[in-house]
Amino acid sequence: MFDRPVHILASFEWSFFWDLRGPFWDGFKYTIKAGLLGIVLAYVIGLVLGAVRAHRVPVLNQLAVTYVEIIRNTPILVQIFFLYYGLPVLGIHLEAFTVAWLSITIWGGAFMTENFRAGFEAVPARLREAGYALGFTPLKAFLNVTLPIGGRIALPSTINTAISVLKNTSLLLLIGYPELTYVANSIQSNTFRVFETFTALALCYLAIVWVLSALIRFLEGRLALPEAL
Amino acid sequence: MPLVPDWFRPVAEYMLREGLPETLRLAAIALVASTAVGLVLGTLMTVRFFPLRWLIRFYVEVWRGLPILVTVLFIYWLPAFDIGAFHVQLNAYQSAALALSLWGSAQVAEAARGAIESIPKEQHEAAAALGFGWIGRHRFVIIPQATRRLLPPMVGLLVNIIQNTTIAFAIGVNEFLQAGQRQFENITSGFAGPTAPSYAPFMIFGFVMLVFFVISFPLTRLSAYLERRLA
Repeated sequence: MFDRPVHILASFEWSFFWDLRGPFWDGFKYTIKAGLLGIVLAYVIGLVLGAVRAHRVPVLNQLAVTYVEIIRNTPILVQIFFLYYGLPVLGIHLEAFTVAWLSITIWGGAFMTENFRAGFEAVPARLREAGYALGFTPLKAFLNVTLPIGGRIALPSTINTAISVLKNTSLLLLIGYPELTYVANSIQSNTFRVFETFTALALCYLAIVWVLSALIRFLEGRLALPEAL
Repeated sequence: MPLVPDWFRPVAEYMLREGLPETLRLAAIALVASTAVGLVLGTLMTVRFFPLRWLIRFYVEVWRGLPILVTVLFIYWLPAFDIGAFHVQLNAYQSAALALSLWGSAQVAEAARGAIESIPKEQHEAAAALGFGWIGRHRFVIIPQATRRLLPPMVGLLVNIIQNTTIAFAIGVNEFLQAGQRQFENITSGFAGPTAPSYAPFMIFGFVMLVFFVISFPLTRLSAYLERRLA
């Protein structure tokens, strides 16, 4: 590190932001590639296992609980390392990109499962019973009653999880996946422009996170169930 | 075959002796700092003075919005600088503690604001009628009630803090995961050459997961229990 204090703000170079656009764009694409894949697959896992949990499907429910509790009670970074360094022992060699989307999918899926379980369980039983009275099979009742209403209740909290999944892509730096934080970190160590590089990086993340948070607040107002339900 | 292989015993002992205390100490520092700062900021966010509110809101949204790893790296790599007469230069451990505290205090502030605002207006009015000023009202009436509602999310936050201490790995703090990684490197590529079977990483990182699970699981159950009890 430096011996003498440096006055950071005095030497702040705005033009450096512009120079960062190329590498940052490359990193951003990697972030989005892993992040979007992770988010979509986590939604799929969450919908299926959330339904399993809410309907107490025997055996599958216990398996889902085990999965959720293991993932929620261990750090995601350790999960990433376990996949990256631990699995090759079993003869399963995964490249960085595979570990990237797989780890955030597994992590996000556990949280999505809980989001959707809570949403589905919040649907009043009498609505489902009304469906049965109309002759719906349990699957039909789920698809036409529980899913639309419970999904609507769960949506804001699932977007919160999606934001966390996206933020967790930054941890993939540690297995050498060249996403946004990885790019910024290597630029910083080559140019010593710490303040500019990380300010730009922070602005990128905040822009994404704040837009998605605004979306949650918008949807919360729009999707709130009418009182009479 | 013994339950624990010979090569694994010193590895696990090193991790538990060197790594785990570091993890717990980091978590404790972050928890105390987050709670202290977060409670004050959360309470001030309910005050009807909008510039102050917006300022705290900005603080909360920034530190909650950034991935903790980004905050950690930012603080750690920042060159030394002066604030007035203070010469600021943080080592890895301090950087990690500060980054976790900034994030944690934002979480606590948001939770505390929610808890305080959930106390009905009548409680404020009744306390005011008894002659309490703003401070007395909060100190004796509002905050004690809000604390009950705050307890479950605080236990949940503790779990998150403990798990997020692993992010300090990135700047070389010897917390539990780092201790495991060092042992892994040591036995696979140390001076003595490979001294462990090939399944060693599986077992070491599995052990890291197990220990975190053993610490976190009772706390998550406690949080869920408190939520049911105090709701």
